[in-house]
Amino acid sequence: MIKIKLDAEKIILVIFLVILLFIGPGSIFSHQLKHDFPYGYSASDAFQHQTRAEAIKDAGNFRNEASYISFGLEGLVGRYPPTLYHLAVIFSYASGMEVYDSIYFIVLLFSVVGAAMMYFIIRNFNKNAALISLPLMILIFASPPSMGFSWGHWPSLLAQVFLIAFAWCIVNIELKNSYFLIALILAAIALTHTSEAVFAAIFIAIFFIFKLITGKLEKNSVKNISIGIAAFLIVSSYYLIIFMNTWAKAQPYSFSVMPAWEGNPGFYIMGFGILLIFIVIGIVFSLLKIKDIHAALIFAFAMLLSGFLNYAGFDTRAFQIRFFWPIYLSVFFGFGVYMIMKILIKQWNQIYSLAVLFVFIMPLIGLIKIPLVPYYENNGFQGLMDPYHWDALKWLSEKTEPDAKIYFFYGDIYGQDALLRNSKRTHYQADPKNFVQALQNSSIRKAYVSELPGDSGGRPVVRKRIFDFEDVVSSKPQEFFFGPQNICNFDYLVFDKASQQQALAQYNMLIASELLKKEFIEIVQENKAVVILKNNKVGADCIEERSF
Amino acid sequence: MKKEAFDLFKREMKYLGIALAALFIALEIAFYKENLLAVLRNALSLFWLFVLPGYFIMLYWHENLGFLERFFVGFAVAAGITGVFSYYAGLIGLNIKYHVILFPIVMILVGAWVNLKELKKDSIY
Repeated sequence: MIKIKLDAEKIILVIFLVILLFIGPGSIFSHQLKHDFPYGYSASDAFQHQTRAEAIKDAGNFRNEASYISFGLEGLVGRYPPTLYHLAVIFSYASGMEVYDSIYFIVLLFSVVGAAMMYFIIRNFNKNAALISLPLMILIFASPPSMGFSWGHWPSLLAQVFLIAFAWCIVNIELKNSYFLIALILAAIALTHTSEAVFAAIFIAIFFIFKLITGKLEKNSVKNISIGIAAFLIVSSYYLIIFMNTWAKAQPYSFSVMPAWEGNPGFYIMGFGILLIFIVIGIVFSLLKIKDIHAALIFAFAMLLSGFLNYAGFDTRAFQIRFFWPIYLSVFFGFGVYMIMKILIKQWNQIYSLAVLFVFIMPLIGLIKIPLVPYYENNGFQGLMDPYHWDALKWLSEKTEPDAKIYFFYGDIYGQDALLRNSKRTHYQADPKNFVQALQNSSIRKAYVSELPGDSGGRPVVRKRIFDFEDVVSSKPQEFFFGPQNICNFDYLVFDKASQQQALAQYNMLIASELLKKEFIEIVQENKAVVILKNNKVGADCIEERSF
Repeated sequence: MKKEAFDLFKREMKYLGIALAALFIALEIAFYKENLLAVLRNALSLFWLFVLPGYFIMLYWHENLGFLERFFVGFAVAAGITGVFSYYAGLIGLNIKYHVILFPIVMILVGAWVNLKELKKDSIY
């Protein structure tokens, strides 16, 4: 009998995870594993991560940042936490997926793995609460938390999966030699998105404070965590030196209050709607059991607090934690519902938990719509990229000389400039504001105010010696990054043929036709949306300035 | 002790087989528009890169943890180890294209060796 019950629990868990896989990764990927271009990318950050992973695949390692990511500068040290990129490249080799698919797939799939691990964390506390907690986890794929995926907060999300694994390690800290897992998982967190290591530290601090206060601090736990942290520091030291000289200097902690995440679809606690009532009830019952509080509940408290640290200087990092609130706070939800039901039904049976699980899945999955209950909606969306721009970018990366300089005229999607890095060449782009002014003045110019897009996050540096880093970007004059550029000095000129503002596309085409009047300029690639010109006499007078 | 170890091995291999089949079916359901071979390759890749290495690492705690729990935690642990050490291996000059073979083999062998050592230690006492 017991065996059948256990199997039923496992089967339900697996079915739930398949549902999560279907509505999350499946739906976001339009139920296809392979796409002809980056699919479902909705913001520049997504392309930022994709192009870095591509660059690592090309180079074979992440010693340096690719020059086309770094304002055309060579030799900048690879400063972004590397784990996600490496996993994406390795998985790309194994599965035959393109890197742009594998990197997104890894993040999506591991989010489901994270939900499964959270289930086991909660199960360690209470099996019924664990089963009832599952439906809330669906909301990681509902809007707005799902924006974390489509907008490219991928390193943070993967690091949070490792954060859940870390919480699992702490829940199971009494396991023999658990320091081994603690060390490796902490290293994985720090080398995926280092700020999550701070949230792990917050959790561990709260955990030990609770244990100390309640007099339940075991010597073995202290030993395991101490050895684990020491080993983590050894394993991570090489990267942490880079981190301390880049990100830690560029974005040092300073107290600030940031109630709203401007320009981003942040998730707020009221987003749980009436489900918040059950979460609050779970919190209340947890506090009533504070003397015997379980690590699963401490973890949820720590993540609830961490998600509010936008009021204490953690800014976007705190908002990123909220993307996974539906997973972290599911323990409160499951516990809250379970305790209410227990008041009504004294002799609780696991079958009741399964029934409650089913009752909550229906509205949360969107099959039954109930006012004030958030629910999942299909996330299938092509994103910013289209086959024509992708074709043009691939052409530039494969058919142009490695040292070619490329100029992008106005394009609707180029505002998300990291996607231009798919050209794998040093590139400039027309500044839209000045470009519109030029159009309004009816003038064709030789020089347009232009931007040199690149990744300035975390202080780009060259590593001179092990502890010696030189900032080579801040010493450059402002005009290096933004100012008038003579379009005749570029090897390739890229024009969009269509735009939501057709006047801009027509202006693009007018400039292109003027350029083509010179015999040394030719069309080298063209499709429905993009035309690419090659300038065979770089530096020569390539266009006649005039009014039209 | 030998019989116990053999029984454990037999049972766990059965579970691993079921896990691979379940992984393939789950991916086939979620990505039903994809062709079967691509889904199969995807499932085998996940199995090779994360499930098998994670399984052999987590086997050390098989007396305390059920298979399914070890399966999921092992998945994350193997990914964490792969990501971190792939970075370092790349820095010392080992091209990332070789990591797809190297890392799972190393994790599987180390995991198997540690577990065999534990089994031998248990059989002495």
